[in-house]
Amino acid sequence: MAPVAPRSGDAIFANVERVNAELFTLTYGAIVRQLLTDLEEVEEVNKQLDQMGYNIGIRLIDEFLAKSNVSRCVDFKETAEVIAKVGFKMFLGVTASVTNWDADGTCCSIVLEDNPLVDFVELPDTCQGLYYCNILSGVIRGALEMVSMKTEVTWLRDMLRGDDAFELQVKLLKQVPEEYPYKDDE
Amino acid sequence: MIVCVAVVGHQNNPLYIQSFTDADDALKLHHIVHCSLDVIDEKVNNPKKSGPTLNETFLGLLYPTENYKVYGYLTNTKVKFILVTTDLDVKDADVRNYFRSFHAAYVDAVSNPFHVPGKKITSKTFAERVTNIVKSFGFSSAA
Amino acid sequence: MGREVAESCVDSILTEMVSTYCNRFYANKPELAARRIEAIGYQVGHQLSERYTMERPRFNDHLEAIKFICKDFWSELFKKQIDNLKTNHRGTFVLQDNKFRWLSRMSIDPSENGDLSQDNPEAAENKAAQMTSMHLYFPCGIIRGALSNLGIPCAVSADMSNLPACSFVVRIKA
Repeated sequence: MAPVAPRSGDAIFANVERVNAELFTLTYGAIVRQLLTDLEEVEEVNKQLDQMGYNIGIRLIDEFLAKSNVSRCVDFKETAEVIAKVGFKMFLGVTASVTNWDADGTCCSIVLEDNPLVDFVELPDTCQGLYYCNILSGVIRGALEMVSMKTEVTWLRDMLRGDDAFELQVKLLKQVPEEYPYKDDE
Repeated sequence: MIVCVAVVGHQNNPLYIQSFTDADDALKLHHIVHCSLDVIDEKVNNPKKSGPTLNETFLGLLYPTENYKVYGYLTNTKVKFILVTTDLDVKDADVRNYFRSFHAAYVDAVSNPFHVPGKKITSKTFAERVTNIVKSFGFSSAA
Repeated sequence: MGREVAESCVDSILTEMVSTYCNRFYANKPELAARRIEAIGYQVGHQLSERYTMERPRFNDHLEAIKFICKDFWSELFKKQIDNLKTNHRGTFVLQDNKFRWLSRMSIDPSENGDLSQDNPEAAENKAAQMTSMHLYFPCGIIRGALSNLGIPCAVSADMSNLPACSFVVRIKA
């Protein structure tokens, strides 16, 4: 009785409130630049971006579940597909693909060829260690944690570093058995 | 043929200058660009002289020298674009098209979060786009 | 029409940016947090003014530039114009948005001051007001960045005494 997940987020994206991507792109860029100024260490900026993404992810999952009508996915495989096909489309307006599954289905890659976060961006030589889009890995990690999947998300390819696509490796560490959903205190 | 393009900031600080000629006349071209800045200032500060082009970003022909024609463009953000060409018979529409594409490339370059306003434009993407725009100059007058 | 993203992306990133600076980096130094948030807005406004003035003639005077901010610029960002523009004719302009989108869409997360709301509702309210005013440093920065880039140095502050209406006060530096 696997739930029927939508195969694409096109219809959902067409129905949500949308804004010029420029505002989003430039705002994210200005945040990254300000973080670099304030924290100085590129490593620390990577960490903070991931943390910010995580915080966003744990909130965004509710909106995602509500708008996509995805009932909770049964397995990790289906979940990864839904993130790539529906999640990315619904929020960023772009589609990602899932590849490179390992044998036991606990590790895969999400590949993104078009990414509004990096429109106009060119990394200066002083920022070569920066994972500019690190917020995305945090969002995925945070969102998955809210549906009981502990993951580790790492960048394998990055177009800002000269690769031909963005590739995020998502590794399932632990799947916490789900309890019946209930509201805890309110 | 376009021999030189330049971007100059609002305090007449050079932000980008690139010549496209094999001859060793970079210095001369830089001088021409420099002189054209005064012409722009005069045009903009004495709007009566510029007549119908009042407040238009495209400033038209700034001045002809013996071998070159120099065109100017001033954005709302007080940034000047200069174009130096050796063509003596240039279509107005071509020059306008050129500046429109150039402006779009410039806007994208300064949208890079790591670009510091008022500092030189070092973007490779920008340099490539400019080269392409310069190459295609004069071939798109249909638009 | 250019590229678009879901509006919740913008909401999420702004909420998180404000919370990062106010609650994590500068929890005890709100004035520093405010300055950083304003600086982020400034850069965005600077860049947006470059983009949104691309196809238009240059402005003749300050009023024309301010009107551009109220109409075209605001519409690009919020799909509506500023509702009311006032000036004292001596360099101060008040731009009022009767329903400022970022305030009406942004729920200040109650969990962040959860302990307060139970024990001390007044403190919780203060905290919420403080977070709201922190959010407003971002659009203030945007306006200041946009006007500076158009050659108008100014100071911008926000007045939120009539929520959800919000007024931005622009004082042009002589």
